[in-house]
Amino acid sequence: MTGEPGTRAEPIVLADHLSKWYGQVIGLNDVSVTLPPGITGLLGPNGAGKSTFMKLVTGQLKPSKGSITVLGEPIWRNPGLYTRIGFCPEQDAFYERMTGLEWVTALVRLNGVDDTEAAAMARRALETVELLDAANKKIGAYSKGMRQRVKMAQALAHDPQLLILDEPLSGMDPLARRKTIRLIKEWGRAGRSVLVSSHILHEIESMTANILLINQGRILAEGNVHQIRDLIDKHPHSVYIKADHTRALAREFLGHDDVLSLKFEGEAVVVQTGQPDAFYSRLTDLAASGELGAIHEVTSPDDNLQAVFQYLVKS
Amino acid sequence: MSAPATRRATPSVFTSALRIFDLSLGQMLWSRRSVFLGLLLGGPVLLAIALRVVSALYASGFRINGAQAAGPSVFGMMIWLLYIRFIVPVLGVFYGTSLIADEVDDKTITYLFTRPIPRRAVLFGKFLAYLVCTVLLVLPSVMFVFFLIVPIGGSGIGEAFPALLADLAMLAIGLAAYGAVFALVGTRLKRPLIIGLVFAFGWEPAVLLFPGYLKRMTVAYYLQALVRHEMPQDSAVSMLLQVFREVPSIPVSLASLAVIIGVTLWLAGQAVEQREFVLDQ
Amino acid sequence: MPIHDQGYRRYIGGKAPRGYGWAVITRAGIRTLVAKRAFLGLLLLAWSPFFVRAVQIYAAANLPQAAFLAPTPSTFRDFLGQQDIFAFFITVYVGAGLIANDRRANALQIYLSKPLTRAEYIFGKLAILMTFLLLVTWVPAILLLLVQIAFAGNLTFFQNNVYLFPAITVFTFLEITMIATAMLALSSLSNSSRYVGILYAAVIFFTQAIYGVLFAVTRSTSFSWVSFPANLAQVGDVIFRLPLKYSTPWPVSLLMILGLIGVSALVLERRVRGVEVVA
Repeated sequence: MTGEPGTRAEPIVLADHLSKWYGQVIGLNDVSVTLPPGITGLLGPNGAGKSTFMKLVTGQLKPSKGSITVLGEPIWRNPGLYTRIGFCPEQDAFYERMTGLEWVTALVRLNGVDDTEAAAMARRALETVELLDAANKKIGAYSKGMRQRVKMAQALAHDPQLLILDEPLSGMDPLARRKTIRLIKEWGRAGRSVLVSSHILHEIESMTANILLINQGRILAEGNVHQIRDLIDKHPHSVYIKADHTRALAREFLGHDDVLSLKFEGEAVVVQTGQPDAFYSRLTDLAASGELGAIHEVTSPDDNLQAVFQYLVKS
Repeated sequence: MSAPATRRATPSVFTSALRIFDLSLGQMLWSRRSVFLGLLLGGPVLLAIALRVVSALYASGFRINGAQAAGPSVFGMMIWLLYIRFIVPVLGVFYGTSLIADEVDDKTITYLFTRPIPRRAVLFGKFLAYLVCTVLLVLPSVMFVFFLIVPIGGSGIGEAFPALLADLAMLAIGLAAYGAVFALVGTRLKRPLIIGLVFAFGWEPAVLLFPGYLKRMTVAYYLQALVRHEMPQDSAVSMLLQVFREVPSIPVSLASLAVIIGVTLWLAGQAVEQREFVLDQ
Repeated sequence: MPIHDQGYRRYIGGKAPRGYGWAVITRAGIRTLVAKRAFLGLLLLAWSPFFVRAVQIYAAANLPQAAFLAPTPSTFRDFLGQQDIFAFFITVYVGAGLIANDRRANALQIYLSKPLTRAEYIFGKLAILMTFLLLVTWVPAILLLLVQIAFAGNLTFFQNNVYLFPAITVFTFLEITMIATAMLALSSLSNSSRYVGILYAAVIFFTQAIYGVLFAVTRSTSFSWVSFPANLAQVGDVIFRLPLKYSTPWPVSLLMILGLIGVSALVLERRVRGVEVVA
């Protein structure tokens, strides 16, 4: 496939048998993964290898084995690529004596931009993260949420094609989290690619359906969370049905071979089926006919990231 | 939200280094550490004040190496004992070994290494900032000492002024040389401070005593050749040094120091380019 | 009840009495350092003068032609002087980060939120540095004394110089107390162990350099009180009943040493706190 990296044709990150170890400790173990353009969530518990992967993607670490290309080029010792990449690291570290504006401007200048333009770009970035009012305050006086936002500002100030955000919501209050998640989604809609890491499942789920699951240095799964769920066909699909006559429904369900088990939870029945398509089709017919009473709610507790992750980790 | 920008040309090593210099100079100059080191450099000034007061009270003046000493001799002795043998190596060890290490400890190195600038530009920019910072700390101290001490015994400041300029240039070269050597130590070795102290206060004084080529593996051998003042005989070691001292010519010393600065900085730059910096979690 | 509670159970065993928290800090600190090969190498190197002296004592005791190498009280004084350089490097290696690293990691608050007093914390840290300093000063010096007795096969030297044992003990304890409190005080001033190390080197070498200038100008050793190494040397010579090198009265030197210990204690009292109030 040809085309500019970051377009629909080319992956933004391509890792090929990528491994990284620190002495005896394996940080990343034979990872081969392709990240498409758009927003990708990197998900895993603490110590899974997320930060190691992020550092390899941002060229801070050299692969012990294998290769990694970002936007079509190898990243290690390729500083030119950073004109197109913006990185928001996890650590809470700044030049505390500088103001937010001074700091972001100084970093933008390192992109080869002259002073006036750098200051303008810094202001725009601070405005985007709603920090313009505090731009002339010293970073040492910022709150945790403000510090996180000024970090994001320096990552996006130079208008990068790819944003890499390592735990961007850490330390933020709920309102700030919502705003940041909205911002990330906007960036994705505007044509930027975003790789965002977190160990909090519902945060990633609210940003994107495209995920990369990692645990103990290995990739568990990559792709759309719904597709991943569908592919786990050995694991029965749970369906939660709240209805007026749950026992009647249960008698009806037990007559079919695809229903593996069911249990009652208050006014609902939770069914485990090995053939979700066939089951949903029958359920739709039952709900339309109303012969077994009204069906008020149908959800699948499995069709979310938590269930997918927990299942994959256990297996 | 604007569309992604087209690629900008990345700045050259020189431009990048200058921008890092801009960023680092203020940090270095106004940090608490530099303020404290600046106060330390006030020690020679206080000493000069005390000596000036004493010389005013006691008309007999001072004696150096058994002979009546005029102000310029006392100034030269202070340049040797305080600046050449102590202040310049200490500043070189302290700042040189921490050029990159401070950024790593503070975890701010990530911001510099994820910019479209060569990593060695970060080192060069910080080295320049170190040089300017230390010269700005040492210069006033030396000048104060000069103006306080040289007039002792009736010597004229005007006659000795060209020598002051030569001393300032020599100290700046010394700061550059030690800074470059310890920048290399800082980027290549663990525990660079201890190794730096061993080099500056163990290896160099010891090796200078021995005849042969070993002394050419020091900065002090070439730097001390640029000092116009007579070496003081304050200890048995100094007297021994005086006996065995071989002094290269000034052009040879300057060329050798330039080579030392160039080679060590280049090697340090290579180390920074190739090394991975793993931050403490 | 047949089903046993699987939940959390309180510790009901014995607890050490209050006041021994410092020992936990000391043990942990020593274990961490002893696990480093580079540090063990430094300790081994610090013992090399001991082996040289032991050979000297053996030769003097067993070879008539080497009788001129026979130990005297100044042998032990000189040995301790030689160990100064190793004491310096061990102090920088061990001591620079003792409190500075805790400040960097914001661990002081955690330490002092435990049933641990500030005095215990400081003493625990002090004990780490003093242990290793004793290991390269007092221990080899006393061992040398024992080696002399063992190789000589009699107690003559010891009986004629019975003051050596208390002299070595008093001098080394004074020396390491001064060094350790000064280094710990400097370590409490910063969160960078590198900066603390250079500050310590500056205090030692700078005061020596200032004295050098004063001596060169005045040709008098009466300014030796300016230099802390010179003050220690002066007090050491008095303790070992040797001729004094400097014309500074030894009580002045002792006062400077005690003054430094006092100032260090004051600094530690001000700086070691769980919370720092920034105005």
